[in-house]
Amino acid sequence: MNATGTPENVRDQIAALLPRLRRFARNLARNPHDADDVVQIAVERALMKLDQWRSDARLDSWMFKIVRNAWIDELRSRGRRDRIFLAAEAGEHVGDATLDRESELMSVQSAMARLPEDQRTAVSLVLVEGLPYKEAAEVLDIPIGTLTSRLARGREALQAMLEPPQGTAL
Amino acid sequence: MTIPEEILMAYVDGELEPVACAEVEAAMRDDPQFEKRVAQHRELRAKIQRAYAPELTEAVPERLLAAARKPVRAAESHVVDLKEARVAIAAKAPSALSRKPPWRPLVSMAASLLIGVGVGFFAWRHSDSIMIQNAGGALVASGPLARGLSDQLAGDRSPASVLAIGLSFVAKSGDYCRTFTISADVSSAGLACRHANRWEIRLLTQPGAVSADGSEYRAASSALAPAIIAAVEEQISGEPLDRNAEIEARKRKWQAATR
Repeated sequence: MNATGTPENVRDQIAALLPRLRRFARNLARNPHDADDVVQIAVERALMKLDQWRSDARLDSWMFKIVRNAWIDELRSRGRRDRIFLAAEAGEHVGDATLDRESELMSVQSAMARLPEDQRTAVSLVLVEGLPYKEAAEVLDIPIGTLTSRLARGREALQAMLEPPQGTAL
Repeated sequence: MTIPEEILMAYVDGELEPVACAEVEAAMRDDPQFEKRVAQHRELRAKIQRAYAPELTEAVPERLLAAARKPVRAAESHVVDLKEARVAIAAKAPSALSRKPPWRPLVSMAASLLIGVGVGFFAWRHSDSIMIQNAGGALVASGPLARGLSDQLAGDRSPASVLAIGLSFVAKSGDYCRTFTISADVSSAGLACRHANRWEIRLLTQPGAVSADGSEYRAASSALAPAIIAAVEEQISGEPLDRNAEIEARKRKWQAATR
């Protein structure tokens, strides 16, 4: 990823990252429409501050971080917005309930969707996106030890959901 | 011998130093339970990667590719539609909305984001009542809007009313301010503050703004909110008023608290 730092070049690299950014954003938002909105905001934001990207840093990690911050901002503004537009927007965000209507065989994606946010993000960055621990910890602004413990708890929870112990009725 | 689960996971993730790797491998040779656990972690890792691999081959929506290709606008670029306002605010980039002191410039900008006087008179007629008037350079609520701002509590809305109050708060200036939405011929949302015994319109947004290239941009109701939210966040002092505090403020006719 030692890019020659021309803006056009970086732009192409960002375009090439879009499938992964979408996948990561879906794991954050658990809703493909929100995910694409967040990716779009993140891309626009990244292009506005391209000068802050150090070309010795991994572009994918940098972009994942911007995606995650965009999502956090979106959640914050939603919290605020729900209070501001309570009448106007009542009932708009009801999508999450569908998560609980999964059928008997749980897919990896739906098991992931049930993880607490911190574990889901850690698993997503390391196991889905393949980032080294160090990179993932930087994306999340946490010490490596915190990352590995979230990762461990997330894995254990996924294991339990995907492969119920013998003798447990499904 | 015990090996923490996290070490076995790190082994599977290729994160262990050579020495630690060798220890895990020795333990696996000595004790089948380690081998079994490592195999489980490997299996889970592979399963996750298999499950997510197909998402990488999905077609990327054109709008995202376009976002990556779009030339970066100069910081001075005029905020012409709500979507750009949203992006500009979200990025905390210097923009017309975030850079200047919020009050007067917001009103005087009066571009398509903010309804200027000329457009305003026409668009803001509802049932033959003018809802917003130009009073000495300031946009001021009148008619049903002024009455609603003074009388209606947040969240209350009679079926016949076109006006909904979203949130009331005390601004840093000490004035009471309220967000509102109007669902008339032209739907919009705005922020009004009680000052000098009138409701001054500090911000007004329209969902159907026309962008610079002439194409109409129809913002979803959810995309409309950020400009208002940003204004509220910038101005609010403390927390929004709850219902009792609103009733109190209404009793006092929204006079700014003396400080």
